[in-house]
Amino acid sequence: MRQKTDYANWIKGIVVQVGFVIAAIYIFYTSSSEWAVREHWGVLSTYTLLTIFSCFAPVRISNTILTVNNAVIFSGILLYGVWVGVWAAVIESLIIAFLVRFNPLKAIINIGQLLMTIWTVAFLKDWIEGFGTVSPIISDLILAVVYWFVNLILCGLGISYFHQMTWARTVKMMAKGFTSTYLLLLILAGVGSRLVESYGPLPLIPMMIAFITISYVFHHYYDNLQRLQQKVEEVKSFNHNFLTTMAASIDARDRYTSGHSQRVAYWGREIARDIGLSERKVEDVYIGGILHDIGKIGIEDEILNKKGKLTPEEYDKIKQHTVIGYEIILQAGMFNELLPAIRSHHERIDGRGYPDGLAGDEIPLMARILAISDAFDAMVADRPYRKGLPVEEALQEIRRGSGTQFDPILAEHFIRIVQRLPYEELQSIIGIESIPQKQLQEAIR
Amino acid sequence: MLLDVIALSFLVALLRGGRIKDFPKFKQIKLLVVTILLQACAVLFPAIGGIFISIAYVFILAFLVFNREFEDMRIFLIGWFLNAIAIWSNNGKMPIDLVQAAKLPYDLEPVINGTNFKHSVLTESSNFPFLTDVIYMPSIIPRIISIGDIFIMLGAFLLVQRLMNKPISLLQLREGKSYATKN
Repeated sequence: MRQKTDYANWIKGIVVQVGFVIAAIYIFYTSSSEWAVREHWGVLSTYTLLTIFSCFAPVRISNTILTVNNAVIFSGILLYGVWVGVWAAVIESLIIAFLVRFNPLKAIINIGQLLMTIWTVAFLKDWIEGFGTVSPIISDLILAVVYWFVNLILCGLGISYFHQMTWARTVKMMAKGFTSTYLLLLILAGVGSRLVESYGPLPLIPMMIAFITISYVFHHYYDNLQRLQQKVEEVKSFNHNFLTTMAASIDARDRYTSGHSQRVAYWGREIARDIGLSERKVEDVYIGGILHDIGKIGIEDEILNKKGKLTPEEYDKIKQHTVIGYEIILQAGMFNELLPAIRSHHERIDGRGYPDGLAGDEIPLMARILAISDAFDAMVADRPYRKGLPVEEALQEIRRGSGTQFDPILAEHFIRIVQRLPYEELQSIIGIESIPQKQLQEAIR
Repeated sequence: MLLDVIALSFLVALLRGGRIKDFPKFKQIKLLVVTILLQACAVLFPAIGGIFISIAYVFILAFLVFNREFEDMRIFLIGWFLNAIAIWSNNGKMPIDLVQAAKLPYDLEPVINGTNFKHSVLTESSNFPFLTDVIYMPSIIPRIISIGDIFIMLGAFLLVQRLMNKPISLLQLREGKSYATKN
């Protein structure tokens, strides 16, 4: 498999680095004889000016910037032929090569793909004109689409080679980014060319005004869009901060469990890493750990801080914290992926847990992970009225609960993780009171 | 040589509120001195003037390469590079199109009989005719320019804006940002 991709990449390298370069040189050479004709010099200088202008007149769309150069090149092909398109492309490449970045190989490869596009479109134009039945307006439209398509395919090939991506993916990504604006510019160029052909350069004035108006509208539109996105980001980060602060306030309120959420989050993350979850999922587990007891905010202080044994009614109320937490996060509209973890972290593998009595694989993985880290921390942490269990004993308890209370595979992973840790490190983790707020926010982000 | 363009550029810069603060420093000024000396040699020894002019272009391109951190220098580089192709491939002289030049109020005799140290007559056998002096520019001072000269004029404009402490960044324009560079 690997050999196959290597081979494909090698072929791609040859096509791009040799094929494109040869095409560039060949098309350049065949066009240069047209440039030597005295009658063509006026057109060449006009298109030089147009190209310089269009290199620095970009049209901004949401995430990319398009220059109008392709529109200029396209109009050159329609009005005069392939040699004007090639000229404009060469001048543009020259400006980019000198002004933006000087990489001779990439510059000539870029010229190559552009010239092949121009050549294809010009060839097709002659072919369509050969029929003599297609209206130029319709043929221009077809050619605009062909120009866009060929340019996209060839450009995608070059970029996919240099960025080590698959061709199809690159093309798809590029097409998604700018197709509509690109086609709009080419179609405008086509219409503009026909107007200039019939009425001389005067129609360029209304065209220009229309164009400037369009880019003005675009500009405003994307400005507003950007501002909106910024606001959404702000709201998101506010929500994040709000929820983490809330989680911290639960720990602060429940004097038995200071720093509990952070430690559960820590152990949850260690398990998630150990079983090989993706970095994203690992972070989700961490946030799940931070927020897992958020529902305790809805439990009365007297029950939460009660010394001594709870009555069955009080215990039922405590059990409600999973559902309350679930409701809170649901209403917040954030962290939706954590909902199952918050609701189900007190479920047991044998189905005797709460609130829903789920069993085995019905319990979401994140909840099964957090159940273990939650139980472990509850056992080893010091309480004002009792010292925490020694780590070995707590692990023994987890071993005993494996298969009934806890997922056996996860329990095994967890025991191994804890046993791997040196004694001092383990003690310092168990002793964590609370993690500074800033660190929390970084983890959430 | 570009007096009108430079004057116009200063006028634009003044209107934009520009003032000369301090003269920017260029690297390797000595290359420019060499270029001027070589051009003087071309006048003194017209028989081999083409060789001197050709070498002068190497030095001026080198000077621009050394100073390429400024955008105006890079635009100059394009212009001088295009002109250099025309000059190197035509025996060290810039061919000029007599059809266009006839519109100018100057005496073309030195060009025609070959005593002009910089220009020659554009003929069928000239190389890269489209890069030579073939464009009639009617105003402000009428002259015949080449494609490369268009870039040189743009570069001169940008250089003057920079001298007047109001630089314009083409790269930022291209990226759709505000045209003025931050100081």
